[in-house]
Amino acid sequence: MRFFMFHLMPYPHLPADFDERESAWVTLSNSNYDPKVGTGLYNRYLDELEYAERLGFDGICVNEHHQNAYGTMPAPNLMAAALVRRTEKLQIAIVGNGLPLRDHPLRVAEEVAMLDVISGGRIISGFVRGIGDEYFSMSIDPSTSRERYSEAHDLIIKAWTTDGPFRWVGKHYRLNYVNVWPRPLQQPHPPIWIPAFGSTETMTWAAKNHYTYLSVFAPSKLLKRWFDGYREGANAAGYEAPRDKIGILLPIYVAETDRQAHAEGRQYVTWLYHKGLKHKFEHLFPPGYMTDHSWGRFLQSGLGAYSDVSYEDLVSQGYAVVGSPATVRERLAELATELGFGLVNALLHIGDMPHDHTIRNMELFAREVMPHFRAQRPAA
Amino acid sequence: MRLTVGGLTWPTEGPARVALADPVVRGTVSEQPGIIPRIAAACIVPNRGNRGMNGQAGQYVAQHLDLGGGRIHVMRAGAGEELLFLHPAAGAGIWLPFHDLLAKNFDVISPDHPGFGESDRLEWIDGMEDLVYFYLDLLDALGLEAVHVVGASLGGWLGAELAVHQPSKVRSLVMVDPIGLDLPEHPVEDIFGMNPDELRASLFSDQELALRVIPPEPDLDMLMRAFKEKTSFARLAWQPFCCNPKLHLRLHRVTAPTLVLWGSDDRLVPLAHGERYRDLIDGARLEIIDDCGHAPLLEQPERTTEAIAGFHETLVGAGVC
Repeated sequence: MRFFMFHLMPYPHLPADFDERESAWVTLSNSNYDPKVGTGLYNRYLDELEYAERLGFDGICVNEHHQNAYGTMPAPNLMAAALVRRTEKLQIAIVGNGLPLRDHPLRVAEEVAMLDVISGGRIISGFVRGIGDEYFSMSIDPSTSRERYSEAHDLIIKAWTTDGPFRWVGKHYRLNYVNVWPRPLQQPHPPIWIPAFGSTETMTWAAKNHYTYLSVFAPSKLLKRWFDGYREGANAAGYEAPRDKIGILLPIYVAETDRQAHAEGRQYVTWLYHKGLKHKFEHLFPPGYMTDHSWGRFLQSGLGAYSDVSYEDLVSQGYAVVGSPATVRERLAELATELGFGLVNALLHIGDMPHDHTIRNMELFAREVMPHFRAQRPAA
Repeated sequence: MRLTVGGLTWPTEGPARVALADPVVRGTVSEQPGIIPRIAAACIVPNRGNRGMNGQAGQYVAQHLDLGGGRIHVMRAGAGEELLFLHPAAGAGIWLPFHDLLAKNFDVISPDHPGFGESDRLEWIDGMEDLVYFYLDLLDALGLEAVHVVGASLGGWLGAELAVHQPSKVRSLVMVDPIGLDLPEHPVEDIFGMNPDELRASLFSDQELALRVIPPEPDLDMLMRAFKEKTSFARLAWQPFCCNPKLHLRLHRVTAPTLVLWGSDDRLVPLAHGERYRDLIDGARLEIIDDCGHAPLLEQPERTTEAIAGFHETLVGAGVC
């Protein structure tokens, strides 16, 4: 099992009347953001990610979201740049980059290649579409999101793998000289991670390209369907999906005892799901962001708003794992057996968790949980 | 040659790419599925007694044309000079009471835009200019030299663009609460981000009617249809938002006599847009429909169509009709 430490870098200081606001996204005024507080937060959060190297994690993940309190990394390549020079062995996964949200795909190709060269080949390149809210925040047409994503992806991969200069004539991008300097160090290109929200098109496409498929926050019964879809996609493409290309994003909180873990963790987990992930429904699902078909499937899935799921259900349904080291080991093993993942993106800073609890959480997870799964590695 | 079905007429000649198949006379609007019958049911005023010249109220000929790479649904009724109705972003695919009122005086042709109502989405249409060229093809396909145009909201914008691109095709132009102009000081509300409560408050003056058109608990079919139409609308109006930033530079090309109608309580598109259209189109008039939100043809069908009829009467004297 491979373990990455995931961070969202939330801004935890929400206004007192937040529960009456419609969302932590799009319309939550940035007057609520205090840059002086932000200086402390960014540096603290970067320290936490850097500490993961000393604890023996395989990698760390930075993330991209725009104009919200849930995650304050609109420019994930900047965060990766800050981390590249402060770490030596870790892989750094950028999950980002939101391709349809960028005007020019070659900026992504260039920046990720720079990071890969500077880091000595430690970069993992995520390609994402961004969530629905971001199509409001950036005023990008959601109905062309999928085709822009697809074309930008094809262009970036070709820019990384084909000697330039070459000409690109697409629907959205028309370029006379594609000739990206630097080229990436990893050959043929950095590993690609694709986070997804259960769309059939995406799981099939990721499997066909042998890309790592990542889940996002959802109950385990849904994750089973998504991972099965990815495995079916791999079978259809003529191979068996390796476990380590199936990744779960999982908020995890470990404390000495179950009782203490729940006493402390309840607040953090509910901040994440009830505040940070509080969306206006119409913003989360803009027209055309999904195909008509996927929209129908979503409506029939019965999936409600995160904020409607109680803390107890968040824990019992697999949205989060909370407990003593023994409980977390047991639950993680159970989920790994049920879902068949071989990559854990552990969200070990959750919501409004303070620094000391984050560090203790990381240490307990790294020392009491991870080794148990490392031991299984030769057998896998 | 014109095909007559159930007292209504339908042209059977046109370019070869137009397939005229299965003309049918539809019954009442409530027989149709999805969101639209709710709008229809909400808007039908019982015992109003209006009748089209050639048949009963609510009767029209429905046709599917093969055009632009897909099947396009066109509804038609009435007799007289041809009038092209261009629908707004919601409510396509249904013959509504105002259609009947217009059909008293005109041969009303009411297509569903590609990607709306019962018409297929055409992948090549991802902006207003594409839709304009689609409609120029549609007029050719139906053998229509020039038509009277009535358009509402999105359809009003489309009508203005048609009159800019091909002034000779538009004999007269009525725009009802049209979007389309770029007025940063008077922004159009973000209809894409509105929840149902906000939509009702924004679109309608009469909130009881609003509740019938946009019910609190929509069914799956309704949500599916709304998503499809909003997606098609996004392709036309997400970016630039609900406007063509160059339209104001081109409106001097409009030669058609023009009437702009505005709901007095339109909380979606400020009246300043109507005033600007009036000022930019030579000879255009602006009239206000009282006690009415963004959708006068739904909310005040009689008064709105009376205003349109009054405008058309002035054209007879001017030799346009």
